[in-house]
Amino acid sequence: MDKPICEIHSLKHSYAGKTVLSIEHLTIVPASIVGLIGPNGSGKSSLLRLLGLAERPTKGEIRFNGQPAEPFSDEARFHITLLPQEPFLMKRSVFGNVSYGLKLRGRNKNVDQAVNQALSQVGLPFKDFAHRPWYALSGGEAQRVALAARLVLSPKVLLLDEPTASVDAASAQLIKAAAFRARQQLGTALIVASHDWPWLYEICDETLHLFKGRIFGTGHETMIFGPWRKLESGECGKNLSDNQQLRVSVPSDKDAAAIIDSLTISEDGAATAGGDVILRGTVSRLSLERKTGRIFATVVVGDLPLSVGLTRQQTREQKIFPGKTIFIHYELGQIKWI
Amino acid sequence: MDFLTEGFFQAFHLLISGNAETYSAIWATVKVSSYSIGSSLVIGIPLGFCLGYFDFGGKKPLRTIVDTLMALPTVFIGLLVYAFLSNRGPLGNFGLLFTLPGIAIGQTILSLPIVIGLSATAVEGMDKKLRITIMSMGANRRQLFLSTLWESRHGILAGAIAAYGRVMTEVGISMMVGGNIKWHTRTITTAIALETNKGQFGMGVALGLVLLAIAFGVNVSVSFLRRRG
Repeated sequence: MDKPICEIHSLKHSYAGKTVLSIEHLTIVPASIVGLIGPNGSGKSSLLRLLGLAERPTKGEIRFNGQPAEPFSDEARFHITLLPQEPFLMKRSVFGNVSYGLKLRGRNKNVDQAVNQALSQVGLPFKDFAHRPWYALSGGEAQRVALAARLVLSPKVLLLDEPTASVDAASAQLIKAAAFRARQQLGTALIVASHDWPWLYEICDETLHLFKGRIFGTGHETMIFGPWRKLESGECGKNLSDNQQLRVSVPSDKDAAAIIDSLTISEDGAATAGGDVILRGTVSRLSLERKTGRIFATVVVGDLPLSVGLTRQQTREQKIFPGKTIFIHYELGQIKWI
Repeated sequence: MDFLTEGFFQAFHLLISGNAETYSAIWATVKVSSYSIGSSLVIGIPLGFCLGYFDFGGKKPLRTIVDTLMALPTVFIGLLVYAFLSNRGPLGNFGLLFTLPGIAIGQTILSLPIVIGLSATAVEGMDKKLRITIMSMGANRRQLFLSTLWESRHGILAGAIAAYGRVMTEVGISMMVGGNIKWHTRTITTAIALETNKGQFGMGVALGLVLLAIAFGVNVSVSFLRRRG
């Protein structure tokens, strides 16, 4: 295994006394792509800010190339860069923004060429954009300029916080391609927080699920959030929009999150396919996990999207395709609570 | 109201004909206001930046004091500076009373809280994402400090213009500390006060228009710089 480029040890981070992140151990290897999945407020952005050395952890240690790293540390600051969720450009031209990091590094040679290359990587022609002021850009263009300002630095670690959340589809496509190319061409390790699960499954070597500031799985688990209530049958669960009932075991508290990592499917919902609970849903999307070759089907049950892992053979034999109605089975006893 | 129209024509006449008395007052005004605004920017911008950027104990009371001092009456400053610079005062030996540097000291006291207060407001109003952006590009502490200062330049510039406007248009300090001495410490505002007392409204309006023209010139220059920046 490659020597880690980034490591986290016994990290705890708090804001105003409230712990928002608690990670015992995490390693990132060079040229890997790690996806962070989790609901809003789960700690993804805090983790990225800490890894990006924009903040100092309340407790614990972050290491870069085996050396302790903290904000402003000379060993790490030129090699790690973070692209925040909302595009933020400084009050200068596009050229000024993209070349800013190079100036901080004291680089004066071939700056035009480097800026030109970075802008073209994100689909912005140099001659049309280089001299535009910061305020004359659309949201998508601003986000692409912000990414170009990071790519021009040839970072060893690039942290992307919801890079495509607030941009149009075309910009999102270009941002995804440019980030992936950085890994391919420069060997940059990418750590990406996104709600675009299929994209993450497709590109990531590893996906991590964050909830309430803790890493608890690989991101393929189906996670269902509370609040939970007593159903008429006396069991716990929630009513779905299509009048089906999602039943669960007794939760640790009414707002706990249920993790179900053993969902199975059937075409007819026959009890012989197993499971205490059988729900009818529609396949809305199929995505491929590049690393393992597994296929993940997003099945919408009521208004709840559930992710089910399938083998290629299963997908072929059961003729799973978007739009098909299928049945999901799970055992109450296999639900974990966090 | 004829004196207003008369004033317009007289203003053009005074400026075009190169009236020595008028240009002496203009020159005194420009000189003394440049001294005072220059020194208040040099002292005030770093202090204002620190006040806006850093969190420290006593910041809020300090901010309240600075905000209060922004409304200092010019005659009160004039009185204090006069007391300090007069022969009986602690700085009497320097011979600064009834001189342009003496007026400049008073005007610096007048403009300093404005520069500090508005610079602090400009820095406090910066987007919180700026710090993360600058740090994520690899800045060290010094670069973070300088880049933040540069990014808040428009707000600081606005503060400088406000301070310049206050300095240019004050009468109390110039009159009390400068003494309104013809060819020497007579500024545009003290000249206007004098001409009005003499009943020469036309001349007063003319000098007022000159003052307005200077303010306009400063604002146009600053707008040009903002567009370029």
